[in-house]
Amino acid sequence: MGMTEDPKYYSIKVNWDDDKGGEVSSEGKLGIKIVRPKGDESTPDMYTPEHLFVASAAACFMNSFIYFTRKMHIELKSFECEGTGTLEQVGKSFEITKIEIKSKVVIDSKDLRSKIERAIYLGHKYCFIGNSMKASIAYEDEIIVE
Amino acid sequence: MSDESHEYNVKVDWSHEKIGYFTVDGKPEVEVASPPEFDGPEGIISPEDLFVGAATSCFMTTFIAFTGKMRFDFNSFSCEGRGTLEKVEKGFQFTKIHLRANVTVESEELIPKAERALELAGKYCLVSNSMKCPVEHETHVTIR
Repeated sequence: MGMTEDPKYYSIKVNWDDDKGGEVSSEGKLGIKIVRPKGDESTPDMYTPEHLFVASAAACFMNSFIYFTRKMHIELKSFECEGTGTLEQVGKSFEITKIEIKSKVVIDSKDLRSKIERAIYLGHKYCFIGNSMKASIAYEDEIIVE
Repeated sequence: MSDESHEYNVKVDWSHEKIGYFTVDGKPEVEVASPPEFDGPEGIISPEDLFVGAATSCFMTTFIAFTGKMRFDFNSFSCEGRGTLEKVEKGFQFTKIHLRANVTVESEELIPKAERALELAGKYCLVSNSMKCPVEHETHVTIR
């Protein structure tokens, strides 16, 4: 799906900024403030590494799906998805064992339905991030004609 | 942390072209897009950045948790993460993440403690443990 087969590198910097958290940044991009998860006491307005992990899977599915709609020349009205990750104890440590992604695609003609289904299927199959995780990813997709 | 399970909910909304937003209830919206090497725009966080950022920041939060348990203070922590995305049989996949952390402490006797906390953080970082690829750690502890 890439233009070339060369490996690609992603560099990220994390700096601790006080006793609770820090900032995740990548050169030239907006930084994201993150905080240590602490059950319900976690600072509610800051992200945790766990949220970034789930966001990476859900956003990668969006990119992968949009890529295939472009390739297949299909127009869509809207796309949204919700990802839920489950963190559980595995042996002595914790792992995100499951990610559920529910998506909703809105199109304006029912003739596009089968093409959209195909783009969704390919979007799942070639989601780089989902394929890089141990967790099983369960997708639930809804196509709405408006 | 208790041994019950926890859930993390994230919402993603496509905006236009290859750009969208993700958010979590009560937290700021973050713009996200395909990276430039996959025909996306420059300067916007990509899911690939988030994936590497999740491992890098989890290493930090796990390290902080262990310094708390071991009851010692450190002066600074910074970490650089580099993820390698490579073509495998079924499309692209992350094949390696390399983390390079720098920690400074007040005195000589805190060095082995900080090294131990870094070692435990590498072992118990739950985000790294949730990834298929190996995560390498390179750590430096110095006095400041």
